[in-house]
Amino acid sequence: MSYRPILTARIGKVDPTSLDDYVAHGGFQALKRALALGPDAIIDIVTQANVLGRGGAAFPAGIKWKAVSTEPGPKYVVANADESEPGTFKDRIIMEGDPFSLVEGVIIASYAVGAHQAYIYIRGEYPLAITRVQNAVDACYQAGMLGERILDRRYPLDIEVRRGAGAYICGEETALFESIEGKRGFPRIKPPFPTQVGLFGRPTLINNVETLINALPLVQHGPDWFRTMGPLDSPGPKLYCLSGRIRRPGLVEAPMGTTLYDLIYNYGGGVTGSGELGGVLLGGAAGTFVTADDLDVFMDFGSLREIDAALGSGVVIVFDTSVDMKAVLRRIARFFAHESCGKCYPCQLGTQRQLEIIERLAADRLRPGDLQLLSEVGQTMTDASICGLGQTAHSAIRTALKRFDFDPSTGHFARFGPPSGVQEALA
Amino acid sequence: MSDWITITIDGRQIQAKDGELLTDAARRAGIDIPVFCSHPKLDPLGACRMCLVEQETPRGKLLITACTTPVREGAVFHVSSERAVDARQGTLELILINHPLDCPICDKGGECPLQDQTLKHGPGKSHFWEEKQHKAKNYPLSDLVLLDQERCIICWRCIRYLQEWEDKPQLGLFHRGGETVIDKFPGTELNAYTSGNVIDLCPVGALTNRLARFSYRPWELEKTPSICTHCGQGCNLRIDSRSHRVRRHVARENPAVNDEWLCDKGRFADGISFSADRLTVPLVRKDGRLQPATWEEALSRVVEGLKEVVDRSGPQAVGALASAKVSNEANYLLGKFMRGVLGSNNIDYREGSGLLADPRGLPALADVHSADLIVLIGCDPAEEMPVLANFIKRASIRRSVPLLIIHARRPELARYPGVFLNPAPGEEIPLFDALTRATLEARMEAGAEAIPDWLSAETPPAAFPAEAVQEAARLLLNAEKPFIAYGMDYAWGFGARGILAALVNWVAAAGHTERLGFLHIQANAQGAGDVGALPHQLPGRRPLNDEKARAELEALWQSTIPAQPGLGYSGMIDAAANGLLKAMYVMAADPVGEKPAHAEALKQLSFLVVQELFLTETAKLADVVLPAASYAETSGTFTNTERRVQRAPQAVRPLGKSAPDWLILMHLARRFAPDKQNAWNTTSPEAVFAEITRAVPQYRDMSWENLGEEGRQWPWDALSVSRELQAHNGGLLNEPDDEYPFRLVVGNQLWDGGTIFAATPQMAHLGIQAARLHPDDAASLGLAAGDAIEIRSQAGAIQTTLHLDPNIKPGTIFVPFSLRDAPVGTLFDSRGPRTVVAVSKVEAPVAAPA
Ligand SMILES: Cc1cc2nc3c(=O)[nH]c(=O)nc-3n(C[C@H](O)[C@H](O)[C@H](O)COP(=O)(O)O)c2cc1C
Ligand code: SF4
Ligand code: SF4
Ligand code: SF4
Ligand code: FES
Repeated sequence: MSYRPILTARIGKVDPTSLDDYVAHGGFQALKRALALGPDAIIDIVTQANVLGRGGAAFPAGIKWKAVSTEPGPKYVVANADESEPGTFKDRIIMEGDPFSLVEGVIIASYAVGAHQAYIYIRGEYPLAITRVQNAVDACYQAGMLGERILDRRYPLDIEVRRGAGAYICGEETALFESIEGKRGFPRIKPPFPTQVGLFGRPTLINNVETLINALPLVQHGPDWFRTMGPLDSPGPKLYCLSGRIRRPGLVEAPMGTTLYDLIYNYGGGVTGSGELGGVLLGGAAGTFVTADDLDVFMDFGSLREIDAALGSGVVIVFDTSVDMKAVLRRIARFFAHESCGKCYPCQLGTQRQLEIIERLAADRLRPGDLQLLSEVGQTMTDASICGLGQTAHSAIRTALKRFDFDPSTGHFARFGPPSGVQEALA
Repeated sequence: MSDWITITIDGRQIQAKDGELLTDAARRAGIDIPVFCSHPKLDPLGACRMCLVEQETPRGKLLITACTTPVREGAVFHVSSERAVDARQGTLELILINHPLDCPICDKGGECPLQDQTLKHGPGKSHFWEEKQHKAKNYPLSDLVLLDQERCIICWRCIRYLQEWEDKPQLGLFHRGGETVIDKFPGTELNAYTSGNVIDLCPVGALTNRLARFSYRPWELEKTPSICTHCGQGCNLRIDSRSHRVRRHVARENPAVNDEWLCDKGRFADGISFSADRLTVPLVRKDGRLQPATWEEALSRVVEGLKEVVDRSGPQAVGALASAKVSNEANYLLGKFMRGVLGSNNIDYREGSGLLADPRGLPALADVHSADLIVLIGCDPAEEMPVLANFIKRASIRRSVPLLIIHARRPELARYPGVFLNPAPGEEIPLFDALTRATLEARMEAGAEAIPDWLSAETPPAAFPAEAVQEAARLLLNAEKPFIAYGMDYAWGFGARGILAALVNWVAAAGHTERLGFLHIQANAQGAGDVGALPHQLPGRRPLNDEKARAELEALWQSTIPAQPGLGYSGMIDAAANGLLKAMYVMAADPVGEKPAHAEALKQLSFLVVQELFLTETAKLADVVLPAASYAETSGTFTNTERRVQRAPQAVRPLGKSAPDWLILMHLARRFAPDKQNAWNTTSPEAVFAEITRAVPQYRDMSWENLGEEGRQWPWDALSVSRELQAHNGGLLNEPDDEYPFRLVVGNQLWDGGTIFAATPQMAHLGIQAARLHPDDAASLGLAAGDAIEIRSQAGAIQTTLHLDPNIKPGTIFVPFSLRDAPVGTLFDSRGPRTVVAVSKVEAPVAAPA
């Protein structure tokens, strides 16, 4: 563990409410450098560094930045801080512990793509993060670093903090736009993509908080440095969110491509509960389950995709063998049935039917044909849904059934301990 | 843009337009891709996922929604690949999971896309056995539209229609996931004026017509392509009937007229063809009372009565009121009867010679779709022609076309960007003069001629800020393709001539006279004039002294046409009052209903015939009442406000013993003048139209057949109208004073208190049947909303209810036409409504409208 945190370096050291202290800890050096480089150079750097979006979809940030920069204004930058994926808490820790870095990231992105208005859309259940980020924005205005100029450069830029109201779907970028526009958050059909038709119908750059703060060290140290971390097809530092039956849950910053083993046993101190690893949920409710057989996998976008798993937003939830996996699945199925926005049929009804079958599974009342039906519904949702929610609503369940040795004759997962009841609290 | 490209679907190469949606390209090539949410008139949404197909991309074959995917050269799609078929079947199965399948009692059953798609693309049987979800059934969204949430498949068509076309997003999705439902917003009602279009759009039986439901199964319906006769737009519709009763109207597509929309008046107010209040037998006055009679008796009485008057006092003692509500055939034959049989030019209709309409109406309705400026002067399409209003809204929203509105009230369309100028009655001429002056000044800067010295140099009234006037003038001057419509409000009664001249000056100064048109409110106001129901013009809008016209018509009619101009609408009533007119033939007009005082005039007549659907106030005074057939019960043509002659074929048989107008007039003429039977021997309304095409030069190339289902317009330049800068006299209104402090504003509202709604009882209570004052004026009079008030002028008084409305200009009071039990006509004399009134509270409340 020779890695020295970059993205989280200031957290715990800097006073998150003080602009001066932020500056004293190296704040706004990146912006200064960015202004010196100019928009094109910044975009080149982001492109060359091959920063993949940290919000879960792993889309190359450079392509988006470039695309928005070539569109005519008015255009917008949006920081996606909705962070509603179960098990994800990285953005919250950034916003609570080092809010100015997010503001700085938003300013750099806005300057690079030529936007004069930016929004930071923060999950409504994050009151402290909202206060801290709002405070950071206000402090920048007071210091004359926002509004008419950024830092000391004449460049009009306004940043507005918006809060979500508790819908998971509002983290989906186009639903998030609808929400900012004052409408109910329904995803839009893509294409057109946000880079062309986004917020208020204008070209929009939307990035996850973590993606944006990666820009800070990147402009300072350059793409070559960035690519020394992790594999070339998804380089850079990464924030992993460890939780579940693990000795040291919490946020871990490590290079992309750290092995799952490292994360659980070295950073996380190993499995609690029965002490024996039953399974790991990667990427949250919309993610995939893996097992102890997969501990050697490199935790980066490409490597995980190869084994039919996904990094998502960097969630690592650990389940020991005593966990009631069926209750966990029921919890996941309920989550999707509850959060499906209802816009499209495959998802609004698929999530409901999936839940009904999983309820039967959890109650040991599975009927013949149910598993086949489940997989068909899952396939329809995955293939036919409009947005990522429906497209991934079946993936955790599918991978659990695939990897956890489900025995249809007994109705149990061979890998997991007491069959039912024990973990009701999870449900 | 519309370059042809080649794409591949299921291995077949087809031609497509670059960038069009895959669904459209496939449809043209005859390849069936099922859709639910997609609709040609609505923005693509991609919600139902019924149209999934595979596309080959660099990232492999991807499932995409055909309804949202534009096609590009060389694109390769698979519609019938296993994965695509599976995905669609899976989706359809999910759609059906919660669908109640109450097809046997569903109004849509038999014309339901869900049934059809299931048959074609469905999985055959369901894997699911769970209890279906239950949601609200028979849930009223309004008095007109009912929702069954269980049947809804969440395709968003209704939501999108209201948003994209009427710009009134009154429906939305509520709850989430499997509990998602369509609903109105809490505390609101679905009251958009074109809300019924969502019924046609709904691909299932979730939205139903509350007035029509359960009265037919779709396969039993006889379907007659026709038109709406409620306003001058002439929207195309289909009359669906069963066992000789009209069951419903549905919209019919005509891109030039109504696209494929109807307003709720046109859709739901179909009661006049089967109302229990209809006249079904002729009535003849015996012993002072109107009593049922045979046609034989009734017609003989008419012949006798008219003959007596003609014999005693000459043909000039007979007058006829024609009507903009009935067909060209009816109006033409009434004119032919008056001129060719009786020998009198006394024929007119309410919107006839007294209305300063452009004789060509409007250049073209469809011009709104390409206009770069929309100018509305003294007309209010949102109330008068809701479908046109939607086109205007869309031009504003989609193409940022500015709206320049000049109106005595603030109409709904004033909420769109542009300029709104709000002259009170009496302020129009100074306003138009100011606009003319600003226009000429702007042109002078560009080196044009000088300002004529007769143009008033007064600065515009304080009510019109100089910037707004200049902006308005600039907008029109700089527009290339403005759509300019003026309406009733400025074209009628005392003062109108001066206003129109001042308006024309402005439009002429801006160089756009050929784009200035008139918006007719009544369905056949244009046609009635075209076919000659005017006292000073022959068919074809030719002057009485046009020798060629006279010769042609005299040959056609086998008679001599009197040379002396006849009396106009109000002239006839005045003449009746002072005894100069002794007999009247009134067809589909109700002068007494408009103004009760007219009864006194008509009572002076020695003979009155009324040909009507209902026993109107005028009919009650008649000596003979002839029961006429309605729009659905006979064939005819109507000419809309853009000179489009359209067919309204017979859909059901006449009610009771009622008879079509043309047939009544035909019999009457043959009895009255047996010597002219050769000129009166047509045996069908189609044949009457054929005769019209010989009598009306503008209609010469038309025939019943070639009108087709979309009608034909006669050319704008078939008549020329001189529109030059000219001096005008400012028609001045009597000014408000202490006794009569308010200027009267009249106008139309869609939900009026007239016959159409009275005949459709479910709609009779819609709208606000009240006079409107600005809240400040009401406050200063100590009046509150809902108060019973009396409105009094020098001419008379009416009592009604007060409604407060900030869109009313202070100092004015708005009294709509056809206000139930309070005819605004009472407040003015034959010089028209530009008068002043007093408003006071009535202590005893007015009787609640029945
Ligand atoms: C249902 C759903 C929820 C999402 N929630 C979030 C979220 O909370 N935060 C986030 O950054 N991205 C979220 N995303 C991903 C965003 O749509 C989008 O891909 C992301 O903001 C892009 O930023 P990035 O390129 O920096 O990752 C969500 C996607 C889906 C389908
Ligand atoms: S997939 Fe689900 S969440 Fe996404 S649009 Fe469809 S219903 Fe809404
Ligand atoms: S009510 Fe009809 S039109 Fe509206 S969403 Fe449901 S199915 Fe579609
Ligand atoms: S707009 Fe006019 S013609 Fe069209 S449906 Fe309504 S009333 Fe009928
Ligand atoms: S028709 Fe294409 S998604 Fe509904």
